[in-house]
Amino acid sequence: MLEIKNLHVAVGDKEILKGLTLSLKPGQVHAIMGPNGSGKSTLSYVLAGRAGYDITSGSITYNGEDLTALAPEERAAKGVFLAMQYPVEIPGVTTMTFLKTALNSQRRARGESDLDAIGVLKLVRAKAKTLNVSEDMLKRALNVGFSGGEKKRLEILQMSVFEPKLTILDETDSGLDIDALRVVAEGVNILRDPSRAMLVITHYQRLLDYIVPDRIHVLAKGRIVAEGGKELALELEAKGYEHIVKDVA
Amino acid sequence: MTLAIADRKAEAAAIFSGHGVPHRRVEEWKYSDLRSALGDAGIGAAQAELHVSQMAAGIESFDLSQPNPPTWVSAHFGQAHRNVMSAASLSLAQGGMAFRVSGAIAEPLKLEFAAAGHVCALLVLEAGASLTLVESVGIANFRNVGLEIVLGEGATLEHVRMSPQSGEAVLVENANVRIAAGAQYRAHFASFGSKLSRMELEIALEGDGAQAHLSGVALLDGNRHSDVTTHVIHRTGNTHSTQLFKHVAGGHSKAVYQGKVTVAKGADGSDSIQSAKALLLGDAAEADLKPELEIFADDVKCAHGAAVGDLDAESLFYLRARGISENDARGLLLQAFLEDAVAEISNTDQRELVRTELLTALKAIA
Repeated sequence: MLEIKNLHVAVGDKEILKGLTLSLKPGQVHAIMGPNGSGKSTLSYVLAGRAGYDITSGSITYNGEDLTALAPEERAAKGVFLAMQYPVEIPGVTTMTFLKTALNSQRRARGESDLDAIGVLKLVRAKAKTLNVSEDMLKRALNVGFSGGEKKRLEILQMSVFEPKLTILDETDSGLDIDALRVVAEGVNILRDPSRAMLVITHYQRLLDYIVPDRIHVLAKGRIVAEGGKELALELEAKGYEHIVKDVA
Repeated sequence: MTLAIADRKAEAAAIFSGHGVPHRRVEEWKYSDLRSALGDAGIGAAQAELHVSQMAAGIESFDLSQPNPPTWVSAHFGQAHRNVMSAASLSLAQGGMAFRVSGAIAEPLKLEFAAAGHVCALLVLEAGASLTLVESVGIANFRNVGLEIVLGEGATLEHVRMSPQSGEAVLVENANVRIAAGAQYRAHFASFGSKLSRMELEIALEGDGAQAHLSGVALLDGNRHSDVTTHVIHRTGNTHSTQLFKHVAGGHSKAVYQGKVTVAKGADGSDSIQSAKALLLGDAAEADLKPELEIFADDVKCAHGAAVGDLDAESLFYLRARGISENDARGLLLQAFLEDAVAEISNTDQRELVRTELLTALKAIA
C-alpha cells in the first residue's frame, strides 16, 4: 500500500530525513518511534503533502501511484488521513459544517454523490457517541476552546467518518490521560481491517499497549535505525533511545 | 436658540463652499480621494431619489420637498451639517423624506436610495420606540446621502445597509446619529465596493446608558474601494460603544476603516471597544485601518485593535488535508473570518441575506 524508498527531505537548508525506507501492506499497523527531533513529524507532514518540505531524493508510492505528485486534498480523497499532533483551531467554522464539507469534498472527488445534511448528521452522531464527542462540540467552532483531549478525539472522529485507507497518527497520545487514550485507541482499533493500513507515530510506548503494532521502526537522525516486533517498544521503554541511537554514525 | 431649516441650509452651503470637494490632502479623506474620483464633473446639484419599498402602518412620514414641516421635522432636520459632505447634501438636496416612529414596529422599514445627486433623510424614533431600518444602495455615477437619525430615550434601532459592487459608482453617505439615555443603536454595513464608496458615521451618545454597536464587512476585488469612517462621541458617562469591522481585499482593491472614539470631559465610566481586521488576498490589495482614541474623562475602559494579515497557511493546509479543495478552503476561511461581524446583526432575515450575498461574492473572489 505504501512504499517509501530512500526518502530525503529538507526544510529550507536543513536535511531532516536522510534516506528513509519503509513498506506498509494492507491490514498492517506499523509504529514509528523515536526521540524528539528525529524527523517523525516531518515524515507525517510529507505524507499529507504540507508545503515547505522539499523532497530532495527518494520516492513515496501509494497504491502504485506517486503520492508526492498529489495535492493534499487529492491524497485525502484517495484515502490518506493524517491525525495531527496539533489540530488547528478555526473560529467561525462549526465542527459539523467542517465535517460535512470535508466528507462531501472527498466523495465528490471520488465521483460519489453528496450526502445530504441529515445523512451527514446521522453518520457523525453515531460515530461521535462511541468516541465521547458531545453534541456541543459538534456545534462549536472547529477545535476552538477544545481541550487537548477533545482535539485528539475529534481527529479520531474524523478518521472514523472518512474511513481512510491509510491513516497516519502523529503523536495522537500526547496530552491524553489514560481514559482518553483508551477511547482514542478503541476508535482506531475499530477501523483495523485487512483493507486498511496505519502508521502510528509516537514518542512513548504507552499508546502501543492499546494499538498493538505488527512492526516497530525506530527513527533517529532522519533514518530507520532499528526494527522489530511489538517487544521492541518495551525494550525502548526500559532502556531509552540512547543505547540504540548512539550506535548510529 | 435653534435655527430655522432655511438658515441651517444656508449655514451648510457656507461650510461646503469653504472646504470644497474633499481630496487626499485632507486628512479624513486621505484614503478616499473624492475630488479625483469625481473629476471635472464635481458634485453637481442633481437630485437623487429616496424610495420607500416597505413601510408599516404606524410610521409617520413627511416629504422634505414640501413646505410647512411638522415640529418633529423642524426640531431635528438639518442639525447635522458640520461635516463637509453632509453640509453639501443639506444645502443641495431639495427633496428626501422624514420618518417618525412612536411605538414598537416589528416589520422593517425598507428604504432605497437611487439615481445620481444629493438627497437627505431623517428618521426619528420617539422614546421607547423600536425599529429595523434596511437601507439599500442603488448604483449611480455619484450620489451623496445625508441621513440623520434621532433616538429618543429607551428607543432601539437596528440599521442594516448593504452596498452592492459596482465598478463605476461613487457613493458617499453621511449618517448622523444622536442617541438619548437608555437608547440603543445597532448598525451593520456590508460593502462590496465601488469606484469610491464612503460610509461615514457621526454618533453621539448623549444620555446615561446610551449604546452604539457598529459592525461591518467589506469584500472587495478588482479596483474597488470601500471606506467606513466612524466617529463615536461619548458625551456623558455610563455610555457604551462597540465596533467590529472585518475587511477582505483582493485584486487591486482598497479597504479603509477609520474609527475615532472621543470620550468627552465628564463622561466618566464610559466603555468602548474598537476592532478592525483586514485580510489581503494579494500584493496589490490595500487595507488602511486607523483606530483612534481621544479621551478627556477619567475611569474609562477603552480598547482598540487593528490587524492586517493573510490567510493562515496552517489552517489552509488542515482543511486541504481533509479533502477540501484549495479554493473551497480559502472560501471557508474567508467566510469564517467575516462571520463574527455578520453575527452582530440581530435581525435573522437580514443576517441570512448578508451571509448569502457574502457567499456568492466569495465564490467569485476566493
